[in-house]
Formats: sequence, C-alpha cells, structure tokens
Amino acid sequence: MIVPLIHVLILAGIIFVMGLACAVAWRSNLIMLLIGIEIMLNAAMLAFVGGGAHWGLLDGQVFSLIIMALTSAEVSLALSLVVYLHRRRRTVNADEFREMKG
Amino acid sequence: MKLYLSLILLLPLLGGVINAVVGRQLPRRVSELLACGVIWGAFAASLPAFFCYSGPVRIELFSWLAAFDFVAPVALYLDPLSLVMVVMITFVCALIHTYSVGYMADEEDSVRYFALLNLFVFAMLTLVLAENLPLLYLGWEGVGFCSYALIGFWYRDEKNATAGRKAFIVTRVGDTAFGIAIVWLFQLTGTVSITQINGMGSHIPMGTITVIGLLLLGGAMGKSAQMPLMVWLPDAMAGPTPVSALIHAATMVTAGVYLLARMFPLIGPSADATAAIAVTGGITAFYAATCALAQRDLKRALAYSTISQIGYMMLGVGAGAITAATFHLLVHAFFKALLFMGAGCIIAAAHHEQDIFRMGGLNKRIPATFWTFLIGGACLAGLPLTGGFFSKDSILAAVWLKGGGLYGGLYLLALLTAFLTSIYTFRMIYLVFGGADTTLSHCMGDHPCKVPGIMEWTLVPLALLGLFGGILNLPAYLGHGWLNTLFAPLTGGEGAEASHSLEITMQAIAGVIALAGLAVAHYRYGGERRAERLRAARESSGWVEFFLNGWRFDDLYRFLFIRPYEALSRFFWERMDEGLIDGSLDRLAALLGKSGEGLGNWTCGRVSVYILSFAAGATILLAYLALVL
Repeated sequence: MIVPLIHVLILAGIIFVMGLACAVAWRSNLIMLLIGIEIMLNAAMLAFVGGGAHWGLLDGQVFSLIIMALTSAEVSLALSLVVYLHRRRRTVNADEFREMKG
Repeated sequence: MKLYLSLILLLPLLGGVINAVVGRQLPRRVSELLACGVIWGAFAASLPAFFCYSGPVRIELFSWLAAFDFVAPVALYLDPLSLVMVVMITFVCALIHTYSVGYMADEEDSVRYFALLNLFVFAMLTLVLAENLPLLYLGWEGVGFCSYALIGFWYRDEKNATAGRKAFIVTRVGDTAFGIAIVWLFQLTGTVSITQINGMGSHIPMGTITVIGLLLLGGAMGKSAQMPLMVWLPDAMAGPTPVSALIHAATMVTAGVYLLARMFPLIGPSADATAAIAVTGGITAFYAATCALAQRDLKRALAYSTISQIGYMMLGVGAGAITAATFHLLVHAFFKALLFMGAGCIIAAAHHEQDIFRMGGLNKRIPATFWTFLIGGACLAGLPLTGGFFSKDSILAAVWLKGGGLYGGLYLLALLTAFLTSIYTFRMIYLVFGGADTTLSHCMGDHPCKVPGIMEWTLVPLALLGLFGGILNLPAYLGHGWLNTLFAPLTGGEGAEASHSLEITMQAIAGVIALAGLAVAHYRYGGERRAERLRAARESSGWVEFFLNGWRFDDLYRFLFIRPYEALSRFFWERMDEGLIDGSLDRLAALLGKSGEGLGNWTCGRVSVYILSFAAGATILLAYLALVL
C-alpha cells in the first residue's frame, strides 16, 4: 500500500470541509448547495474506498457504488425540482421558498 | 275480605293507569266518569269491608321485596284505625272527584288531573292499609309525589311550579327522618312488619324508642305540616281548589297523625317522645291560629286553619288519646273538605278572586254555599253540638286528664287556640258573606255569579256529616261512644275515663270559649264595623304583617338555610368549579400553547439559517469529540 490510510482520510476530510464551506458560503443558492452536497458525498465515498482498501474488504467499495447510484438519483431529482421551482418563481434563491415554515 | 281490600286498592290504580295511558284518546265524559266511578267503586267496596269487620285481619297479596332476612310482602292490615280511615278516605275522595268534574269543567288538561287524583287515592290507601313499613313508605312517597304534581298542576305559572317544588323539598326533610327510623327499626327488630314491631317495644331500650319516636315525629312533621316544617302548606294552595280540599286538608296531611297513631304502641311508653309530639302539636296549633287571624287570601286562611287543626290531632296523639285524635281527624276531614269545596264555590262565583277583603254579600248570591260553609265554619270553630265541638273537646279532655305541668300548660294553650280559631273562622265568614252587596266590580252585569250545581250538591253530605259527626263518638254521659268501642282493642285506644260532671264542665268551658270567639268576631266584623275593618285593612300594621307572613318563618328559613346554601353552591360553582378546576386546566392549556408557540418561533423557514446552524452544531460536536477523545 503506497498511500497510507491516514492520508486518504485527511484528503477526504479536506474535501468534506470544502464541500461544507461551499454549501455554507453560497447557502442561499440552490444549485451551489447541491454542488456542495455532492462534494461532501464524494468525500465520504473516498473515505469508504480508502477504508476498504486498507482492510482488504469489499464493503467499502460496495458502499461507494451505492452512494454513486444514490447521488445520481438525488441529483437528477433535485435538479428537476430546481428547474421546476425556477420556472415557477424565476429564482433559485433557497430563502424564497419558506411557505412550509412550521 | 281479601276481595274487598284488593278492590279498594286496585280500582283507583286501574282508573289512574287507564286515564294516564289512554285518557287522552277517550272522550272527556268517559274519562271523568271513569275517574269518579273507580273511587265510588272503592267506597262501595269499603262498605262491605266495614260491615263484615269482626277483628284485625292481615292479608298478604303477593311477595314484593325479599332478600335474606328482609321480607316486605305487599300485605294489608285492617284494624279499627285503618278501617275508619279507609271508609273516610274513599268517601271524601269520591265526593271531591265528583266536585272536580264541575270545578275543572273549563280545564283543558283534565285527564292529567284525574289520573293524578286517582293515583293519589291509590297511594293514600296503600299508606293506610300497609302492613309493613316499606309498603307504608311507598304510599307515603306516592302521596308526596301526587301532591307535588297537583300543586304545580298549572305549572306554566312559575309561582305554582315553585310552590310544588317547595312542598316536595320540605316534606323530603321529614321523609329522610322517617326513612332512617324504618332502617333502624329493621336493624333492631329484624322485621319491618308494623304489627310485629309494635309487639317488640318492650325489648328495645327506652332511650332508643325515644329517638325513634322523634324520627317518626320528624316524618310526621313534614307530611302533616307541623312546626318547624309547616312552611310548605300555605304555598300549596297554588294548586286547584279540589286538590287543596283533598290533599292539603282532608287526607294526605293527616298521614303524619296516622303514622304516629299506627306506631303508638311502640312509641307510647316513651314519655319524652309523646311529650315532644304533644308540644309540637300544641305550639303548631297556636302558631297557625295566629297566622290565620291575619290572612287575606281565603285559601291561605283555610290552609293555616288546617295546620292548626292537625296540631290538635298531634296534641291528642301526644296525650295518648288515639281515639280522640282519630275522631278529630275524621270530623276534620269532613268539615275541612267542606270548607275548601265551599271556598272553591266562592272563588268560582267571585271569578277567581281570593282576597276576602274584596268579597262581601255573597250570601244572597250563593245561598246553598253560604249555609254549608257556615256549618263547616261552625264545626271548625267548635260551636257547641257540632261535630267539631265534640271531637275537639275530646282532645282537650284527654290533655287535661293527662295532668302535670306540661300538659296543663298545653291545655291552656289549646283553649286559647280554640278561642282564636273561633275568631278567625267567623272573621272569614263575616268578610266573605257579610256586609253590603259585593264590591267585586267584575261580578256584576252580564257575568252573574253562578256555581255549577254538581259543586254545591257535593257540599250537602259533607255538611251533614260535619254537623252530626259528634254521633260517631258521643261523650259518656250521652250514651256510649261508638269509636271508643271500636278502638277499645288498640293500645291507647281506650278513652280517658273522666267523671261525667268533669266532662260536662270541660265541654261547657270549650263551648263558652267558642261562643266568646264568635262574639269577638261579631263585635269586630259584624254589621257596620265590617266597613271600618275594610278601611283599616288598607294600611297594615307591623303585627298584621308578621302574622300575615306566618311569623316570617319563610324569611327565617331563607336566612338560615337558603341563603347559606345558595352562597355555598355559588362558591362551589364560581370558585371551585369555574375558578379552581376549570381555571387551573385553562391555565395549563394556555401555558402549553404559549411554550409551543415559543418553540415554533425558532423555525424561520430559511434554508440558509438551517444550514448555518447545522454546520455550527456539527463543528461544536466535532470539537467536543476531539477534546474528549
């Protein structure tokens, strides 16, 4: 194993924080939010793959495949919602959609 | 005998049930005929029972209540006391039913009236014939209910409904005491049969008998309108006049006297209990006589006279003279029913005017009523040789012969009451019938005073019975008292033995007293002075007001019981229920609502805020974990 697990985890952590920072920084823009979430999911996937490689188990790889499927489904659904909302309101500002406030 | 007694009970019940269930579908004449027919039938059945009577009979019709030791069958007991009561009740009730046909001729709802009247007769006869206390209590409550329903017969008028409720509630106070006495007697003796209980008196400690006697007296006070539970009877005059005649004068209110006479073998040995009965009777008689002196309403005056006369009967029972008390009860039933029915005729003739100060000169318009009413008044006042004279005198003689300071004082009080009775009776008669022609403006012209013939004719037999009622129990110097002979087997039934000269002296005193009352009434209300009294009556003095309102007992009770009760219920309603219970629950609900609203305010609906707080929370969590681990 060339790359030690700790390096993979650090990289995954950095990517996760960057994704979170993206979501927090552009928190009122729906598309930027989705991008941030994608980045965070990828960081998690990287951690799974690193762990799987380190212990020589297939679980991590299975999980990363599931996350890929989940992400693609989520993004397609979320982007269609965004398109729909943009058509209705002519905006992608998340704070505009607060009708369902409890 | 079984057939006769069953018929006496079942006929009124049958009439009442038929009238209550299908009476409205029947033609009016049929339902009236049915109601009167069953009572006359019961009277007809009581006659063979009367003439075949040879000794006390106990008849068990069927089993009613039975659980372990407690056995209360529907059993009837016929002894001299219940025998004379049954004959009197069926006869007087039959006459009053007949009278009611005339009196209620214009009433829409006569079916309800007759059904209740029949049911009343059934309940009263059950009370009188009952062999055990629960059955007696059933009749007791039955007459109470019918009385309530008939006082409030014209219930659309708030005042009448209130009077009915008042009668019901006040008599309930006494009934509670009676109920306690029944349960206690069962616990002491293991039986509820009246004859068995009366035979067991010697096994019960004297103190217990005294308390039971007082409890029974409490029941009798309620039903017979004695001090201090007498406030309901004057108000009970809100009912139709025949009802007043039947229930509140002749029969039901004497139930208390009957109960005490019935239980006398048990309570008689207790000197304290009999003294309490006698004192209650004596004071009530005096109280009611003073109140009757000031009444303006004809029916209320008669109601107070009823209370007073029942007080005499109680006095007689307290003196141990069951025969004398029953004698007065019978004669009183005749002449008081007569007086009330006469009052009904007068009120009908005066177009529902009841104020005696606004009547006058009626003797020329309704002479038949005048003469019968005069006879009834003479009996009530105890003018010599009327029935009332003999019966009242036998009570007075019994009280005198009892001797001692207490009974001596009661004798003087009773004499004073007799004097007052004579005054108020003739005051009433002078005011109603005397004087110039009527001052009733609406009784003139095209509305002549007329009374249905059926109403006046029913007065005649009662007048004859009242006038010659003395023959029922002639004093010893005139022959042999029939009631005395009949009642001889009963405990307390044997007449007091007085020497003839003493008896004649006492009757002379009573006669003089009654005549003196008549003289006073004549002096105050006769001839020219009647008009003066009418003028004087316009401005009322303090004493007149005091007597008019029955010594202000209503105000006293309002102050003592009704006000505190209302204040207490208001406290429980406004402070406890609405204030404490509802209030605390409302407070709790408001608190929860407020906190929910406060928590709800935390959500602003802005996704950006959520993300930021989510990130901050995650950071804090991570920082904590990093610090701890």
